[in-house]
Amino acid sequence: MSKHILLIDDEPMIREILAAALTSKGYRISQATSSSEAMAVAQQDPPHLIVSDLQLEDEDGLAIIAQLKTKLPDVPVILLTGVLFEPKVVRENLSSKISCYLPKTSTLAQIVDAVSRLVN
Amino acid sequence: MRDKVVTRVLPVFLLIAAIIVCVAVAAVHNINRSVTGSDWVNHTHSVILEAEALKSDVYLADGALHTFVLTGNPRDESACASALADADEDLEITKALTRNEPAQAQQVADIGGMVGARSAFLNGIMSSRSTGGPDAVRKALSDDAGGAALHRIKGAIERLKNSELELLTERDKASYLQAQTMRYTVWIGVVLDVLLLAASGWLIQDDINARRRLAGALQDANEKLEAKVKERTAELEASNARLTAENLERLWTNQALEHQLRYNNLIVESVSDLVFVLTKALNISRLNPAVTEETGFSATELVGQPLSRVVRAASRTSEDALAEALGASRQLRDCPGLLEDKRGGTRPAYASIVPLRDRDKVVGAVVTVRVDRQAPGPQK
Repeated sequence: MSKHILLIDDEPMIREILAAALTSKGYRISQATSSSEAMAVAQQDPPHLIVSDLQLEDEDGLAIIAQLKTKLPDVPVILLTGVLFEPKVVRENLSSKISCYLPKTSTLAQIVDAVSRLVN
Repeated sequence: MRDKVVTRVLPVFLLIAAIIVCVAVAAVHNINRSVTGSDWVNHTHSVILEAEALKSDVYLADGALHTFVLTGNPRDESACASALADADEDLEITKALTRNEPAQAQQVADIGGMVGARSAFLNGIMSSRSTGGPDAVRKALSDDAGGAALHRIKGAIERLKNSELELLTERDKASYLQAQTMRYTVWIGVVLDVLLLAASGWLIQDDINARRRLAGALQDANEKLEAKVKERTAELEASNARLTAENLERLWTNQALEHQLRYNNLIVESVSDLVFVLTKALNISRLNPAVTEETGFSATELVGQPLSRVVRAASRTSEDALAEALGASRQLRDCPGLLEDKRGGTRPAYASIVPLRDRDKVVGAVVTVRVDRQAPGPQK
């Protein structure tokens, strides 16, 4: 059975491109734009991986991740954001909350590689 | 289009059929001839038998007459008359049997004449015996001394028999030759049919082999074609997947750049300090909203203008310091200066300059100006 990935981003274009790229690699994709949608997906069909933005329209991505982690503590999380963090910040501030940080300037191939690595 | 094998085999089968028909016609003709020959043989034997019976009856009549002459017994006379009647009957039958054969009919007619003469002679003797007495009979018998007439009749009948037997012999020879001819005809027909059947079998087998080869070649060609199609399909699918991936990657790159640019703009425009982007000649190429808010100049009024239009050095030294820092491609922070607004008023401020590098070349600078909020308001 194909692995299930939950995408959380408020920009439809980003979700569509990521979903297309990951679907072509055989993953099953669910999309959410808010914490409530993300929690609903997690409840009905727990994902194998969560890919989340940081700065959502009305919410904090890290807060959504923390919320999801209470339900799915073992599910890996990729933080995919336009905010460029220093490696040190990632190491010291984010590594305990997420499994992987990727700037949105990363290529799709890098993102797919990270997904593949974490899912498998 | 007619099948090639039909074109090749059909004439052979027609030839086989023609041979079979010919042999059958010849066989039926031969059977008819045999039946006819058999009738003729029976007929000939009947002629011979009747001729033999005629001869026997003539001899019997002659013997009975002699006995009658010696004994005068009427039973012998009656036997003679009966034998003569039988001889007449035999003669008539023989005539009837040979009426369609002129040569034999002539012979029978001759025999008939002789038998008739003999019958008249015998009847005459019997009359003489009854009426004339022994002398007349003796005289008549002496005239017939030696039985020459009987010998002639016998010889004529023997000739008739011989001629009939010769005909039988010829018929037997003809029948034998006919049977031989028929055997040859049947065997030749059978051999020819077998040969033709073998030839048509070879033609059919050859055609089957050719079809098998063709089918095999066709199957090989189809398999190669299928393999090529599969290979080409796989190539196209791979190419399509690659193009799709490239397209997605390009879309992603574009949106990432656009997102990053928008995000960076947002950051720059939300900074409360005045931010100027300068060319290498210290002319303004871009500014943030804080500049308009603080000086009253719009972007269109300042873009292309020298920085000194709004930011003046507090001293000659500090003005040179900004230019020198840019010339030396180094940063300079909090250089004291004056910020001039659109109304001509000035306020103390601190300018920092950071060279703007494009790869390893300095193409301009970013100047941030922090207004000294502790100082009194704008001064004319």
